[in-house]
Amino acid sequence: MRAGGAAAQGEAARSPLRQGATVVRATVNGESVEVEIDPRSSLLDVLRETLGLTGAKKGCDHGQCGACTVHVDGRRVASCLTLAAKIDGREVTTIEGLSDGDTLHPMQQAFIDHDALQCGYCTPGQIMAAVACVAEGNATSPERIPEYMSGNICRCGAYVGIVAATLDAAAKMGEG
Amino acid sequence: MTKLLSRRTFLLTGAALGGTALVAALGGLGYLATVDVDGLGGFVDGDDAVMNAFVTLHDDGRVVVKVPRTEMGQGIHTGLAMLVAEEMDIPFDERISVEHPVELLPVYAHWAQMLGVRPEEPQGPVTWIGRRLISSIPLITTGASASTLNLWHPMRVAGAAARHMLLAAGAARLGVPVAELTTSDAAVHHAASGRSIPYADLARQAAVLAPPDRPALKPRSEWRIIGRSQRRVDIPAKVKGEPVFGIDVVLPDMLHASIRHAPVFGTRVVRIANEAEVRAEPDVLDVAIIEDRSVAVVARSWWQAETAAARLDVEWSASEADAVSSDALDARLADALEGGEPYIHVEDGDVGAALAVDGARVVQATYVAPLVAHACMESMNATVVLRPGGRAEAWVPSQSISLTRWAVFRGMGWAGVDPAEVVSHITMNGGAFGRRTETEVVAEAAFLAARHPGRPVKLLWPREEDIGRAMYRSHARAGLTAVLGADGLPAAWDALVAAQSLMQSIGSRTLPITPSPDGDRLTAEGLEKPYYALPARRVRSVHVPSHVPIGLWRSNGFSFNTFFAESFVDECAAAAETDPVDYRRALLARSPRHLAVIERVAALSGWGAPMAAGRSRGIAMEHCFESIVAVVAEVIVTGDGEVRVPRVFCAVDVGTVVNPDAVVAQMEGGILFGLTTALISRVTLSDGRIEQSNFHDFTMPRLANAPEVVVEIVPSELPPGGAGEPGVAPIAAAVGNAIFAATGTRPRSLPLALAETTGAGRLRTVLAAEAG
Repeated sequence: MRAGGAAAQGEAARSPLRQGATVVRATVNGESVEVEIDPRSSLLDVLRETLGLTGAKKGCDHGQCGACTVHVDGRRVASCLTLAAKIDGREVTTIEGLSDGDTLHPMQQAFIDHDALQCGYCTPGQIMAAVACVAEGNATSPERIPEYMSGNICRCGAYVGIVAATLDAAAKMGEG
Repeated sequence: MTKLLSRRTFLLTGAALGGTALVAALGGLGYLATVDVDGLGGFVDGDDAVMNAFVTLHDDGRVVVKVPRTEMGQGIHTGLAMLVAEEMDIPFDERISVEHPVELLPVYAHWAQMLGVRPEEPQGPVTWIGRRLISSIPLITTGASASTLNLWHPMRVAGAAARHMLLAAGAARLGVPVAELTTSDAAVHHAASGRSIPYADLARQAAVLAPPDRPALKPRSEWRIIGRSQRRVDIPAKVKGEPVFGIDVVLPDMLHASIRHAPVFGTRVVRIANEAEVRAEPDVLDVAIIEDRSVAVVARSWWQAETAAARLDVEWSASEADAVSSDALDARLADALEGGEPYIHVEDGDVGAALAVDGARVVQATYVAPLVAHACMESMNATVVLRPGGRAEAWVPSQSISLTRWAVFRGMGWAGVDPAEVVSHITMNGGAFGRRTETEVVAEAAFLAARHPGRPVKLLWPREEDIGRAMYRSHARAGLTAVLGADGLPAAWDALVAAQSLMQSIGSRTLPITPSPDGDRLTAEGLEKPYYALPARRVRSVHVPSHVPIGLWRSNGFSFNTFFAESFVDECAAAAETDPVDYRRALLARSPRHLAVIERVAALSGWGAPMAAGRSRGIAMEHCFESIVAVVAEVIVTGDGEVRVPRVFCAVDVGTVVNPDAVVAQMEGGILFGLTTALISRVTLSDGRIEQSNFHDFTMPRLANAPEVVVEIVPSELPPGGAGEPGVAPIAAAVGNAIFAATGTRPRSLPLALAETTGAGRLRTVLAAEAG
């Protein structure tokens, strides 16, 4: 994990709880974290601003665009609409935690192989959604994938590559 | 990161190239290839062997190519780095990385656009002089689909010069004449003795040698990289979420800001009714009124800043624009078509005489296009810090490092900042489409940074500001008239467009003198159709001002005028009872390059072959940004008016192709961008305010709505043209023409359909009433 997680943990442990704040303990990308948050804050803001995980992107802040998609206990969520307080005791995976060390996840490799992006801003959300789409059993055909990947907007128009990449990775993930 | 090029180098190259450019502009050379490339001198700086302004070599074999253009998804970092690698004989592999330079060197500037304007042209001497002046401070910008066109020559020369210096260093090391040496695989070889030296081992010696005056470029026959698809240098990091977009910038002690702009453009802040209350919000440090036009809140986190900003109760000044609606603006456009005083862009032949002929077969139609937003996925943002001694630094997802720097000065009130000490970093851009040539967010962040010296301030506009308080593509209304000759082809072509002048709107925000809207070719581009054989032709425009700010928008005037003109060509073909492709073949009889593109797309799409029930085809073409694109759209219109576009075929002649994969991707992306606008995009005004605010009401097509796109590149050895924008231009007309083929009703108003959200984020597009 990037810098930020450890610092935040230390600070939370040392300082007395600020008024109205709450402490959340969760596993983020395989590491235990403990952070002090405003109970109203979104998971996206806590990931980006408190934990220093800026891979998940803020696109609309209203669950419309999918750029902030991450996994909570293996299921995809729009982190901008998820209260950070709800991750207490759960496992969160972001784009930063998807690869196995230097070995890319098959979906990441497929996005490279199929040029499934242009500006790359929506890409972390697309990849996290696509991995979940495969896990859900919804990446079985080029007709089915668009139905289950329609929560993620790509303004650059790389949709053709996204379908190809998802189909390709699904076969390699052995769950398609 | 490498150190800045020395001030000495900057000044010397600035003086030298300024002189060359002046000669080129005054002497009427005006063509990029005639401009000498300066800034080729190298030096050793610590571990870096800086060969010239474009390439730095490292001891470990890494090659850093400086690409002075913004990567916003178009793959320009890859394409331009390929040019250097080609000339240097360096394989295009992981050794090569790309950086956007922070220096503003004249050799990086956007020459083609500046030299392309002549004083005698309609924009007039003011614009020409303005551009001459800014050429003394290099304008480095990414736009007009001109990056490859601009740097095609300089970057190959830079690569060739570096190779020449490496050869000279190799010859000295080996004690043999340069003529006995060859280069390949990033090494110098001496075949006679079987010895080779990698560039990395020669770089330090080579960098201090004098660069050649005019290094020879490789002939086309020896290209190994140019014209062959290469891996995109920016993609591997992007699939890991690693690149730093502007929104991702994190700096020590950084503050965060959010903002509210005037809901009616042009109105001013009268007072903030609850300022004390907002200032008392948790961790809020500042509430600032910026130039009376917006109110920003600065806090320790963006969420806190935005939460507090949402509570702002701002009283705005009253304005005449408070009553303006979209319908009222459209009525103004309609009035201007009837009674305005048009500026004449083109007048060839006697259009009036052709129209006056008794019994002439006249085809006439009026078309409309609405205001649209850019809706980049990354909302507008900028991070600025003011350090002691008037040194400012900015990190911005911007299309222009030059404009970013000026915006920092502007935002800091032109005082307390040393102009020579502003450093700008261009981050990755989450989409741009022309929107990031505008720098108001930079000026706002700089304004806030000046209030908090020593602390970086990151200003991020919430999505609602990005869509509802932004810059827009102009709305437009056009009347087209043709007189058909005995052969059914237009004997006369008359186009009149009413729109808000883009150049005037931009100029009023950025220049001390507001340019005249007369001769703004961005308003009329796309109506002339110079490649069609039209015996008499007239193109005119009427400027209709409004309070809405108009900005550069991917393909600008072509985005609506090509819809108007190519729909109208289809109407003429229908009036002449001729197949739309045959009709264009006849119009292109004397334009073989264009005809070849039409023939390719007709063949690719199976034009003329029977279609499945409920499907139809439409064709359209455009020549813009030095490239020719023709598209055929297949549409399905169902009984209840739902319209879908399952497939689009595209043939494109972009001249010499650098990276074929990137050209195909730009066509795919441009077509989807144009299709979005054709089918469903518009912003509307009520009580002077933009009504749309986020992706629920400014809708985007989803994956389930995206067509299959088949692209074929037509081979060409002409100089490279642009790829970013041409794909956008013809798609709207192609879809409209296909809808006509399906329904017999001619759609003349954009957007063609209304979007209905169904199920989980899917869209259903239903033909607008007037088209159905």
